Amino acid sequence: MFTIYSLKHTQVAKPSDTNREYEMMKDDVMRLRAQANRVATGCLRAGRALVLGLVMLGSATGTALADRAVIAIGNAFDNLDPHQVFDVGRVASRLNLYDGLLRWEDNPPVLEPWLAESYEISEDGKTYTFTLREGAIFHDGTPITAEDVAWSMDRILGINKGAASLFVDVIEPGSTRALDARTVQFNLSKPSAIFLATVPEIHVVNMDLVKEHIVDDDWGQAWLSGHEAGSGSYALKRYDPAIGFQGERFAEHFIPWGEKYLDEVEFRYVMELNSRILGLIAGDFQVTDAYMPYDQIKRLEESGTVDINEQESMRIFYGVIHNNRAPMNDINFRKAINYAFDYDSFINDINSGSVARDPLPMPGNIWGAPSDVEGYSYDIEKAKEYMAKVEEPVRELTIGTITGYSTTEEAAALLQAGLAELGVPSKIVSDPFTVLNARSMDEQNTYDIYFTWKSTYYADPHNWVGELYSSSTIGSRNNSYYSNPDVDKLLDRALISTSMEERRGLYEDAARMVVDDAAGLFIYNTKWFGPTSKDLKGQRFSPIGNGLEARWMYRE
Amino acid sequence: MKLLVILVNRLAWLIPTVFGLMAITFAITHIIPADPVAAVIGENASPEQVAALKEKLGLDKPLVEQFVIYLTGLLRGDFGISLYTQRPISEDLFARVPATIELSVVTLFVAIAAGIPVGVISAVHRNSLLDHALRIFTVSGLAIASFWLAILFQLFFSMYLGWTPLQGRVDGWGPDPITGFFIVDALIIGDFEMLGDVLAHMVLPVLTMAYPAMATIVRFTRAGVLEAISSNFVMYESAMGFPRRVIIWKYVLRSALIGTVTQIGLIFGILIANSVVVETVFDWPGIGRYAVDSILNSDYNGVMGFAVFTGVIFILINALVDILHGLIDPRETR
Amino acid sequence: METIRFILRKFFEDKVALVGLVIITALVLVAIFAGVLATHPGDVSTFHPADRLQGPSLAHFFGTDRMGSDIFSRILFGARITITIAVISVGLSVLIGVPIGLLAGYYNGWFSDLLMRVSDIFLAVPQIVLAIAIAQTLGPAIENVILALSLTYWPFWTRLVYAETRACKNETFVEASVALGASPFRVIVLHILPNISSGIIVRTTLGMGSTILTAAVLGFLGLGPPAPSPEWGRTIAESRQYLPNAWWYATFPGLAIFMVVMGFNLLGDGLRDILDPRIRRSKSNDR
Repeated sequence: MFTIYSLKHTQVAKPSDTNREYEMMKDDVMRLRAQANRVATGCLRAGRALVLGLVMLGSATGTALADRAVIAIGNAFDNLDPHQVFDVGRVASRLNLYDGLLRWEDNPPVLEPWLAESYEISEDGKTYTFTLREGAIFHDGTPITAEDVAWSMDRILGINKGAASLFVDVIEPGSTRALDARTVQFNLSKPSAIFLATVPEIHVVNMDLVKEHIVDDDWGQAWLSGHEAGSGSYALKRYDPAIGFQGERFAEHFIPWGEKYLDEVEFRYVMELNSRILGLIAGDFQVTDAYMPYDQIKRLEESGTVDINEQESMRIFYGVIHNNRAPMNDINFRKAINYAFDYDSFINDINSGSVARDPLPMPGNIWGAPSDVEGYSYDIEKAKEYMAKVEEPVRELTIGTITGYSTTEEAAALLQAGLAELGVPSKIVSDPFTVLNARSMDEQNTYDIYFTWKSTYYADPHNWVGELYSSSTIGSRNNSYYSNPDVDKLLDRALISTSMEERRGLYEDAARMVVDDAAGLFIYNTKWFGPTSKDLKGQRFSPIGNGLEARWMYRE
Repeated sequence: MKLLVILVNRLAWLIPTVFGLMAITFAITHIIPADPVAAVIGENASPEQVAALKEKLGLDKPLVEQFVIYLTGLLRGDFGISLYTQRPISEDLFARVPATIELSVVTLFVAIAAGIPVGVISAVHRNSLLDHALRIFTVSGLAIASFWLAILFQLFFSMYLGWTPLQGRVDGWGPDPITGFFIVDALIIGDFEMLGDVLAHMVLPVLTMAYPAMATIVRFTRAGVLEAISSNFVMYESAMGFPRRVIIWKYVLRSALIGTVTQIGLIFGILIANSVVVETVFDWPGIGRYAVDSILNSDYNGVMGFAVFTGVIFILINALVDILHGLIDPRETR
Repeated sequence: METIRFILRKFFEDKVALVGLVIITALVLVAIFAGVLATHPGDVSTFHPADRLQGPSLAHFFGTDRMGSDIFSRILFGARITITIAVISVGLSVLIGVPIGLLAGYYNGWFSDLLMRVSDIFLAVPQIVLAIAIAQTLGPAIENVILALSLTYWPFWTRLVYAETRACKNETFVEASVALGASPFRVIVLHILPNISSGIIVRTTLGMGSTILTAAVLGFLGLGPPAPSPEWGRTIAESRQYLPNAWWYATFPGLAIFMVVMGFNLLGDGLRDILDPRIRRSKSNDR
């Protein structure tokens, strides 16, 4: 594919008529001409077709090119502090610049020892003792000690943003102790079966370094949002919130490097999907995130320069139904809704079969997901049968969507069409993600139904069915205002049980009950189509890191 | 003397105007009973986390107190903390200002360089076929939605032909910031490859923004020239046998230029308005896109910061144009 | 009577204005009869996912969108939204702005000054900036777009009417009727308003065009009516992730915006030539 920028030579001032002026100007003109030629050459060199040739021909970057990769992401890296941000979109800075005690890897995700080489759990399930690797150091060369870990835990709780919500219920500030330089002990206020699964989110920051930059007791937030104080596989080299960040390989990282790796990695915020795609095809980028319509995946595949790595991820798409408001508090009405959605058209036509039908309040591919639940199908006759049993008068429903996320709009439109067949009028509204979220925490204000995703924050069934349908999280993560004492009993038991087998059974039962109650409109589980350039290898996917952990990547 | 009065008058009006602008933006963003903090803190936040952040940001205080805090902050150049990025808004805005200014200045230059000659030609050959064609062209410029034009440009020049970069300000990081204006910086460090890349990235956004601005200039230039041609002075000159060409370029153009200068405030308004959408489509890291990012993340503080910031710039430019106009065209002051 | 006949004759002589009028008439007809003219009138609310993203054909003049709906039909229905937004918000701002301008222009005093200062502050910022801020806080909905546009547009009318009222106030015929003891209300409504109405009419026409553009921008930014609304601006925003393959998806709604705004601008320009005496004079000079 030939692409050349069409910039013409810049115009040079025309010599004036009078000879004298001309003589005076001649030198200038010659110089300008020379410059103009160089500009033009510059333009050409920037042309993608020539980059290959010219850069290889002796430009100094020629050799470095192979060991570097640019990863284009549709989310801005506007804050690098690993304790302030906790969303999946901005995971790359946390995974590559920082380390936790443990780390989720691969698919299905496995909890691997990371900064900790081992850990022990007390009999009562309340004390977790981790032993750090020997000789682990931060980017500035100082050793990583247990004190850094304990302080990081306190910092998460102290600034109370991001991942803090995972820990506030079970860990008191100041309760985490460094027993010696390499031993750190977490003392939970009550047993929690999911604590271990959330440990990877305790990213360790360099305590001494951050403390130097604390202003007004802010835990160094202002400074760390634009700087880095970690130990991760890559050290921050350059950062601009409008562009992204560059990381330089940290050779002394405590996990030994493999034979092949990238010396430098750049995460670049490229807002426009088409730019990410064209850049990938042209070789400007080696990796992009996988959030795109399947039509575009196909376009990438057909380009011949891009590999698509396909995996079933763990990110469910579902409709959140308000279970505590009429008429949705009537199970018959909720079932009618569940039978009125055209799953097949949505999955196979609108999403071109690029997602997996998932009738459960959790990804179908995680342990604890029952395999015998068929769920609901598009069946207007059945929907009408249930509708006939609804005693409350029908009113107009409000369906919420997320601004800029076309999938939610498409689902809402399909549901609206289905409801119309039942004689249920509805209107669709749209909010930015954050507004929709805030609204969903208010029982009076939240929409009757809204569509959203639930990603993997930690790979445990509790991340989905446990948080979304337990009475104890009503108003925060349970935005369905669904309360079923039988489900609560199962979930509470599962949260303190130490037996994986027991927990599996408990979550399976809980999921069956939630589906029987038609508590939500469960639609699909995401498939991940990770596009990389053909010469980039080694990308390792886990639903938590979304394939953005750069230390496994290399170029051939 | 009269000029001084205008100057003082103009500057004195700046203060209440800016104050009023701040009050209006504050009212817009605080009267509506939305909950910006809960909106921003994230998917897994607990109500306690929300309350804590609210207290920290001072959103639990009475409105009047919040306004006073907001005002005193603004006077120090402090636009508050972005609810989404958690960083100071002034920092984000100032980091992005050079990108917007560079785009606007180049656009303004292109629009004037194209608009004045077209306007003069159109006026000189008035009611000719050429004049009609040029008028249709310029009237279209004022009727076209700039985001649509931007997308069509991208579709055609970047996606189909592959001539220009699709978006962005530069491939990668650009020159190390000296002035923040990439063209200037690339020239200072003498990196002509970079300069070419920067210019290539500017082509489409500049064309998109310059079109409506140029249309405005053409209209004013044409009207100005027509008026000047029919003025007694020019009639006298031509009666005296001065070559028509000389008259037009020497006398008529002067008045046309004055007309353009007075319109720069208006044109600048068009540019800012268009920068919001054009920067979005072209992913141009300026303040216009910052505003749109803030909208998408429902970062009220960010939107407010953008409104105040552009408002103040706009007010200053208009004051400057008024003063300039007083200097160029002394008739006004009489 | 003579004047009206004169204006009408001028109007039909002015081809530009006539073209504008034809376009706008067509738009209004399309909006009213969208249900009849549309080839797939149900496609605003029913979908055919199996036919999504089809190119233009005889079955679908302008192709289909991401839901398999007929874009041609949706554009026709989108005209309704556009007209509603433009008419109501320009209407509201005229209703707010003109009386304020008349009062502030007719009376001298601190209150007039205050009114004018407030409208100056609004005018100090590009309309789109404030409209974005308002629409963003109110949330995306058609009512909120109208509100945001009206709230930011009325000062424009105040400023215009104020200046013209001031000029008109000193004309002999106004001074005469005041001297004859006419009430201020009578003077304003019977003597001043008719004399400045031509300016208002011209600006209203031009204002419709610019309001449609601003509304489209709000729609494009996701601040307009939400999906599956066929609003033109949001349709273009939707189309972006299906480019370059689905070129028709972005092209036709933008063309619709262009045509309509062009219509209002041409009509406005034409009306100004006919109605505005100052321009009429300069036009005759032009000859």
